[in-house]
Amino acid sequence: MDPEFRGDQDHHDGTSDATPGGYPAERRPGELGFALFLTGASAILLYNAYAISGFDALSAPGSVPMATTAVMLIAALVVTWRTARLPRVTTETLARDILPVTVLVFVAFLVIFGLALKPLGFLPTAALFLIAAIRLLSGWGWPRTILTALFALAVIWIVFRVIFTVLLPSGVVPEAEIIQVFRTLLSGGGA
Amino acid sequence: MEAFLALLTVFTQPDLLLLVGVGTFAGIYIGAIPGLSVTMAVSILISFTFSWDVYPAISLMVGIYMGGVYGGSRTAILLNIPGAPSAIATALDGYPMAQRGEAGQAIGVTTVMSFFGGLIGILVLALAAPYVSVFALKFQPRDYMLLAVLGILLVGSLSSGSLVKGIFAGALGLAIGAVGRDPLTFTERLTFDLQLMEGGISFIAVMIGMFGVSEALLQLQNVNKTAVRQKITRIVPSFGVIRKYLPLSLQTSTIGVIIGALPGTGGDIAALMAYDHAKRVTKTPKVPFGKGAMEGLVAPETANNAAVGGAFIPMMTLGIPGDAVTAIMIGALFIHGLNPGPMLMVDQPDMFWFIVGALFMANIFMLIFGLTGIRIFTKIVEMPRAVIIPLILLLSIVGAYAVNNAISDVYWMLGFGVFGYFMRHYGYPLGPVILGVILSRLLDDNWRRAIISEREDLGRFFEGILTSPLSVTLFAAVILIFVSQTPLWTALKTRLFRKA
Repeated sequence: MDPEFRGDQDHHDGTSDATPGGYPAERRPGELGFALFLTGASAILLYNAYAISGFDALSAPGSVPMATTAVMLIAALVVTWRTARLPRVTTETLARDILPVTVLVFVAFLVIFGLALKPLGFLPTAALFLIAAIRLLSGWGWPRTILTALFALAVIWIVFRVIFTVLLPSGVVPEAEIIQVFRTLLSGGGA
Repeated sequence: MEAFLALLTVFTQPDLLLLVGVGTFAGIYIGAIPGLSVTMAVSILISFTFSWDVYPAISLMVGIYMGGVYGGSRTAILLNIPGAPSAIATALDGYPMAQRGEAGQAIGVTTVMSFFGGLIGILVLALAAPYVSVFALKFQPRDYMLLAVLGILLVGSLSSGSLVKGIFAGALGLAIGAVGRDPLTFTERLTFDLQLMEGGISFIAVMIGMFGVSEALLQLQNVNKTAVRQKITRIVPSFGVIRKYLPLSLQTSTIGVIIGALPGTGGDIAALMAYDHAKRVTKTPKVPFGKGAMEGLVAPETANNAAVGGAFIPMMTLGIPGDAVTAIMIGALFIHGLNPGPMLMVDQPDMFWFIVGALFMANIFMLIFGLTGIRIFTKIVEMPRAVIIPLILLLSIVGAYAVNNAISDVYWMLGFGVFGYFMRHYGYPLGPVILGVILSRLLDDNWRRAIISEREDLGRFFEGILTSPLSVTLFAAVILIFVSQTPLWTALKTRLFRKA
């Protein structure tokens, strides 16, 4: 490993703020598009911030939002200008290095998780998510995947739902009854 | 006497002692497992402990923080994968040592030096913070505003990336923090007339998204990365070895405390700076840097643990976080009804001394756990990422949902997770975003108080800055940092060097 190197060796993906991702003198796939998106979003936010109180007074509720969104827009414009002038990284593609299928699939999993969480409840949704995710990433057989997922879910559920008493949507599962069974067991068989 | 009793709280209450111990133990493993970061762990944890009393919640978080900063070094040495960002510099010389069959010695020295660095950081915190807070009582609203701007600029400039991206990230954080109804006038701000946004965006959802989800999505690309386990021999280092590296560790601990105490910077930056320092001052290392130099191991490890104590100084005295983890801890204190800043030190000094005591205890636990349990450790860190990543995502969802029992927070978290994922790929630092979210209210309130007190006159505002030694120093620092990162400064420096 080169002691002078201050970055992630494999992906330039920004493990920490001390070793940010990207390349200083080259443009990664999609980087210009992201910079343009930030510029557009900053302009919309600035317009929205202006609509709060315009230039009424320096202490008006819109003054700080206007200043911060203006800074965002200026910074985004500078970044876009600089990025546009950089040569493209020739060894990377958007589909392979920035947005591989696995990442897209996981984002879809999370969206579905969010949608199903309330109607189905935490336990079935989390079980389905863990089984699908572990199977996809590990390539293990179904029995091992299901056992690992259910064991992990049981640990998480006991720690967070039973011990930490975190409220989670119960959905179709009679969670209150299950918890009561656990509490009875923990308190010595209902004594 | 009261301060001393507060300091001893953690030592005298077995439940708190246990929580610090459990936190440190968990922190070491969280820090060691690549893909699990301390920032991620603390941000998820805050959503589960918000209903607890403040002392137990802080005990657990302090333990995780201290253990996590140290834990990252283990995998850096054994597997050449820094478990935490603060251990990136440790891998440079730690792994070559392990390849030479000196993994045990590397772990032993790292543990003792991390303890030493941590101790110095805590001592400086205990000695300096009360004075800083007395000084901070003299701060005017404009000074707080300048300090907030300084913090955001510092984290942008000290990161290795571009300042302009750091500035964008900081401003974005401030804008996110401003969303919702203005607390003074009740006017809607940046809500796009959506009822969903009237209450603002949950900063916990932002934090979990940025640090938990984005990191997990990033790790999806490293699922199949394999590592070779190293053989471990003797762990406890000899007194001679410790004595030999003591002078260097003192220097790098100082660097760690100072960098940690600068608003917005953290252990990762401190470790890299200490590594650079060690390279400069060690003229003839026994083994060259990058090939397994012990100095290259001692410097970052003392610095990153010393930075923990340092990071608490601005947090406790000014209410300005020293790094991303303390930013999250400020959030935790807010949730528990406490307001970090100079008044906290005046009104509730016991809270400060309790944290000092908890940090001290966590440091001792770190030494004990660090020098023992190596065999269990190697088993745990080899847990497959194919299981870890889905678990992180699951915990992130549970954490984001748990605070307000709102699905909308899960979507905010997911949105910021995906956004943070792109930010990481394209070199935008995430630290300033979190710092901006936390400092948004402080900056906004103090700007408005300052400008109202100057009767809305910008001329008088700047006159006030120029006539106050503190304000002018802060203002000069802001300008200097900004100018130092522009092409103007580079051109000036080149011209000056040419003349010389």
